[in-house]
Amino acid sequence: MSRTSTILLLAPAMLLIGVAFLLPFLLLVLAGFWSQPPGSWIVDPTFTLKNYARIATDAYYVTAFARTIWLSLFTVAICLLLGFPVARWIASRRPLHSFLAITMLLPLVAGALLQTLGLVNLLSLLGVVNGALKSLGLIDSSIRFLGTELGILIGLVQAFLPLMVLPLATVLAKLPKELEQAAMSLGAPRLAVWRRVILPLSVPGILAGSVLVFCAALTSFVTPQVLGQGKIPTFATIAYQQAALVLDWPFASALAVSLLVILGVALVIFAGIRRFALRRHGVAT
Amino acid sequence: MRRATNAVVMTVWALVVAVAYVVILAPIVVLIFSSFDGGEVFRFPPRSYSLRWYEAAIRSQEYRSSLGVSALLATVAALVSVVVGTLAAYALARGRFRGSEVVATILLAPLALPLIVWAIALLQIYAWLGISGSFPGLFIAHATITIPFSVRIMTANFSQLDPNLVAAAVSLGARPSVAFRRVTLPLVASGLVLSAAISFLVSFNDVIVSSFIAGARWITFPVRLYSELRSEGVDPITVAIGAAIVAVILILGLAGERLFKWSRQL
Repeated sequence: MSRTSTILLLAPAMLLIGVAFLLPFLLLVLAGFWSQPPGSWIVDPTFTLKNYARIATDAYYVTAFARTIWLSLFTVAICLLLGFPVARWIASRRPLHSFLAITMLLPLVAGALLQTLGLVNLLSLLGVVNGALKSLGLIDSSIRFLGTELGILIGLVQAFLPLMVLPLATVLAKLPKELEQAAMSLGAPRLAVWRRVILPLSVPGILAGSVLVFCAALTSFVTPQVLGQGKIPTFATIAYQQAALVLDWPFASALAVSLLVILGVALVIFAGIRRFALRRHGVAT
Repeated sequence: MRRATNAVVMTVWALVVAVAYVVILAPIVVLIFSSFDGGEVFRFPPRSYSLRWYEAAIRSQEYRSSLGVSALLATVAALVSVVVGTLAAYALARGRFRGSEVVATILLAPLALPLIVWAIALLQIYAWLGISGSFPGLFIAHATITIPFSVRIMTANFSQLDPNLVAAAVSLGARPSVAFRRVTLPLVASGLVLSAAISFLVSFNDVIVSSFIAGARWITFPVRLYSELRSEGVDPITVAIGAAIVAVILILGLAGERLFKWSRQL
């Protein structure tokens, strides 16, 4: 294929993604160092670190960032606990495995917002969960899920569990069944087989799933906004506030860049854990 | 003793799997279930069942317009996504050239970088350009987020294609354009359908980007639903339409799975 035709084939996509997608990111980085006098809509493009100083020192933003991070970590942990048995079931070709695998795709295709709507009906004071618990006599007054961190956590797990299960199932499906059988036939107790064979070999899948869930939860917007009912500020909701309601564009940009930095640091840490775990267990990548 | 522990472990295992699927499916089940609620406000257990909200949905002019906007936008975005994405994927899969990995990374970037961060930037840029809330503005945003899906699916499709088939057609006298139309295209047809379906779905379901750049005139269905959810009052008509949308997605998804084995291409 000639050089010209390659360029022509790639041009429309590169133009759209380059100009409409990557250029705005560049502008964000620049704008984060600009400022906007209070009450004015005119941006002052002289270099300043004011926005970042405000994010790092104002307790409101520090707490919101910290909350977003621990909510994401909890989401990863719960997804791992729920997702590992599911992934192993799917990978082990037990009955129903292909049905279970396809069902796992559902939350990814059904639309985040429509499922959040379902969650609101499920978790509201007069909702299904409270109704069921009351009719079972387990609680007297309704539990408040909406507008709390617990509600957001449930929403995040519901939305992102597939991101843990799918990569994990792919890795587990590739493990040769003979390894386990060999360990068992050589007399290893079940627990030892798990600790020394199954878990070390599934580390790449666990980490791949964790990275996906963590990044998705950290940047999630709809779930905290709707299930938190505006009472629980997380990164995405305060960034939206600044960008769309307060209209402080330089500050919103600085918030967005801070999130990218946190994501980058998280990815480096995950890569470090991966290298450490693989070396320790002597598993080749 | 050992058999007893095994049974306990297996039971706990199956229980966790069951809990996971209840968590995954409950919102969708409740959504469909509550759309048949006869009351004004959703309450569990429902006091009566009826189809009144579905009837109201069919009659309502506003809902028809927001669904129309969503459908139009998603159709146009999906068309552009498939055409532009397929061209790029063809170049990536066939022509080895310097920097092809960089090009692939750039084209797939919207899948890796957080859309919320992009939306914050877009909001401001669109305000400068004066295109926020306009159809072209929405279209550019939706095309940008859907193209990577087409690029990815079609690159996989083209690289699985045996180049000898096209070579054979050409050596038998077919012009390259004819060989492309009669040999290559039919072989990647299922990938094209999947790209179109995913692009349509991503555009139709998008709420993050659209709600940042939404205006008063072009309001998509998700943006409308989102503003209702934020103002703490969801119209039962919205619930009915939402349930219908989920049902349509499910049916089309299962049909696609049967016809094209989509889950193997993802």
